[in-house]
Order: sequence, then C-alpha cells, then structure tokens
Amino acid sequence: MKIIYSFLLLCIFCIPITVVSQETETTDATEQETGPDNRPAKPAFESGLLFDQQTANMQQKNTLEFIIQHRFGTVEDGIRNLYGIWGSSNIRLGLNYTILKNVMVGLGTTKFKKAQDLQVKYNILQQTRSNSIPVSLTFYGNVQIDCQYKVDDTLNVGKDYTFADRLSYFSQLIITRRFNNQLSLQIAPSFTHYNWMMADTVNSSTEDAIAWEHDKIGLSAGIRYKISPQTSFIATVDWPLKIKGIVEYKDFINPPKPNYCIGAEICTSTHAFHLWFGTSQAILPQEIMMWNQNDFFNKQFLIGLNVTRLWNF
Amino acid sequence: MKTKQLIRLSAFVLAAVLFVLANNVIAQKKPGPWNVPAKYKTMKGKGDVAAGKELFAKHCKSCHGAKGLGDGPKAAGLKTTCGDFSNSDFHKASDGEIYYMAIIGRDEMPNYEKKIPEEEDRWALVAFIRSLKK
Repeated sequence: MKIIYSFLLLCIFCIPITVVSQETETTDATEQETGPDNRPAKPAFESGLLFDQQTANMQQKNTLEFIIQHRFGTVEDGIRNLYGIWGSSNIRLGLNYTILKNVMVGLGTTKFKKAQDLQVKYNILQQTRSNSIPVSLTFYGNVQIDCQYKVDDTLNVGKDYTFADRLSYFSQLIITRRFNNQLSLQIAPSFTHYNWMMADTVNSSTEDAIAWEHDKIGLSAGIRYKISPQTSFIATVDWPLKIKGIVEYKDFINPPKPNYCIGAEICTSTHAFHLWFGTSQAILPQEIMMWNQNDFFNKQFLIGLNVTRLWNF
Repeated sequence: MKTKQLIRLSAFVLAAVLFVLANNVIAQKKPGPWNVPAKYKTMKGKGDVAAGKELFAKHCKSCHGAKGLGDGPKAAGLKTTCGDFSNSDFHKASDGEIYYMAIIGRDEMPNYEKKIPEEEDRWALVAFIRSLKK
C-alpha cells in the first residue's frame, strides 16, 4: 500500500510541475506573436528502449530496428566471476518495424526460457510544443511464448499442459513528459498475466499460499538527463506492486523485488548504446515484474547492455 | 628457431597493416562537384545554431569531426574525403546547396530526410555548418 500512496503523491506533485512548465513555456515571445505551436514536441527519449523499459519513442514510419539486449550474471561473486561477466548471461535479439506513423510491431527471441515474443506499441497522444497536450501517451503490449521443453515430472507441469499455458502477457500505458532538452520523465503502470504458474497449489495443512500469482500490477518510472548531445544519464525502476485486493492466495510468498537500473546512454544517428547496473537478469518486462528475486541492495545486481541499429526504408 | 618465426610473423603482420593503411590513404580521393538541382540552390531558411550543433554531434561528427574538419573517426574508412567546413571555399556554396549536400546526400554521404524530418532542424544544421567558417 505504501507504494500506491507513493504513486498517488508522485501524481499530485507532477500535476503542478506540468502546470508550471506550461505557464513558463507559453510566455515565449515567438508564441505570443504567432500563436501556440501545436506541432509534436521532440521525442522525450532517444531510443525505444530505456534499459529494461520501453519508451514512448516511435521511430519514423518504415524504420527497421535491430536490437541486441545482453545481461551478464550478478556481481555478487566478485572477481572470482569477474563481477558477473563470466557468469550465466541472458540475451535477446529483436526486430521492430514502424508500420504506421504511430504504430510499431516487433518480435524477438530470448535465451532464458527459449522465449519468443511478439509486441506492439501504439502512440495514442503526442506531447505538443505549446503544451496543449502536456504529455505523450503510448500503449505497449506483448505476448511471450515459453518454448522450453517441459517434461511432466521435472517441472511438475501436469499432463494437461497445453500451448496456451506457455503464454504470458504484458500491457503497459506509458506516460511521458519532455520537460526541456535535457530532462525527460516517464511513468508507466502495467499489468502482467501468466496463463500458468509454477506449483500453483495451496499448502493443505496450513492453507497458506505457497504459489506464485498469475497476475501482477506494476509501476515503472524512468528519468533521463542529457549531459551532451549524445550522452545521457538514466535511472529507472520497475515496482511489482503488492495489492492485497487482487491477491489469489492468503499472503505473498516470494514476492518479486523491484528492478532498479542506473547507467548511461550514448546515441548516434543510427545506434543507441545503453550500459548500466541493474537488478533483473530477465529482459522481457513480464519476466521482470513477476520473477525478479535479485535484491539491488544486497549486491545482487548486474551489468546490462543494449545496442540498437536503425535502417530507414 | 621460435624467435625467428616470431620475427617473421611480426614482420608479416606489420607489412599487412602498412599495406592496408597505405592502400586506404591512396584510395581516398577528393569528392567531385555536386550537381545540386536548381530548386535547392535558391532555397533559404533560418536555423538555431545551438540546435544545429546538437544535431551535428549526433548525425555528422563521426565522419566530419567535431569542428567539421573532416577528421572524424570514420573518415579514414571512406572512399572520398569528407571536406573541410572551416575552409572559405566550401562557404561559397549557397545555403540551399549546403542543405542539399547535408540532407539529400549522394554516394557515401547518406540521406538524412528520415533521420532529420523537420525543416526547422535541417536549417539549424545548415546554420551550424555555416558557423564553422574560419
């Protein structure tokens, strides 16, 4: 509940900031002479990715984006594992294509769970320069297919395990505001659903919940501060919320932990490079929201890398 | 015996590197004259130099260098030299001609119409390139 209260407080604080910035920017002399500039504001972020998160950024129509996402192992073993670089890694390769001015579709394949994913991003509202629309609003959704070979007696999946059980879904509404050339912020509530969860039973003797939830409501936030035309500092967080009202069982056992990331972005004309320290080794957002057990403040963080390449057609 | 082999190998590697570098330098030629369509030659626009500087850093610096001297890290790998934007000869070109060269491009000079879609940004880039004159 504390997180919900924090979110509400954040919203309350954001509203005055928006109003103040509207007032400041509309006093611009040029606007007074020529009327409000209702052209779309410049993109709040340089790339469609913000470390582990999605942004509202939409590439030009007919742009193909190739993405390499890499997560090393956690640093907790120190030099013995070269701070995670020699550890088990997770990798995703993805392709996105902007089919319309405000619609992008994509697919990808990930090492963990041999997961295949399909995704869509739809830009609903675009922030304007005059602040007549103060924020951008974008929907992001994906479906993940868990393609691991699942034998009945190893993962206890049962004989009625079907294709539908392999599916999980993630939906998110991304609210973005570009405050100025340097500072951009996004807040993104999300909903995650897994059709099937491991050991979804209740302890018969105590009737305590020992299972994982099928659904998870989460909240993500990200901030970017540009320090040069190509380089920005970025910090993000993904909070899986513990909402008792929607809990399937009596209590939360092994609730997923927040995913904190902090690092830098370097962008060129056709590339974006991200390098950061982050909590989760998972790459797809539903995996982060549902499964992350790494604790950032207990040395359970890792080095993450993203590389993107754009081609215009 | 091993030492001799090592010396031979090192000499071979050095020769190969020198050959590649020399070949690269020899192969790089000066760009020929631009055939700029008439409609671009007379085009004019105003741009914000500071915004242009930012765009230049993102899109152009890797070949043309931070000050437009044609000495960016990718420049040596091109077949033609990038030119020197501080040179007064370059600035004999009209604003529209610079716009055409920067945005429409040809051969190794990429087209930036989709990467810099707004006219305002394109003219900002032209304004910054103009500011590089010494």
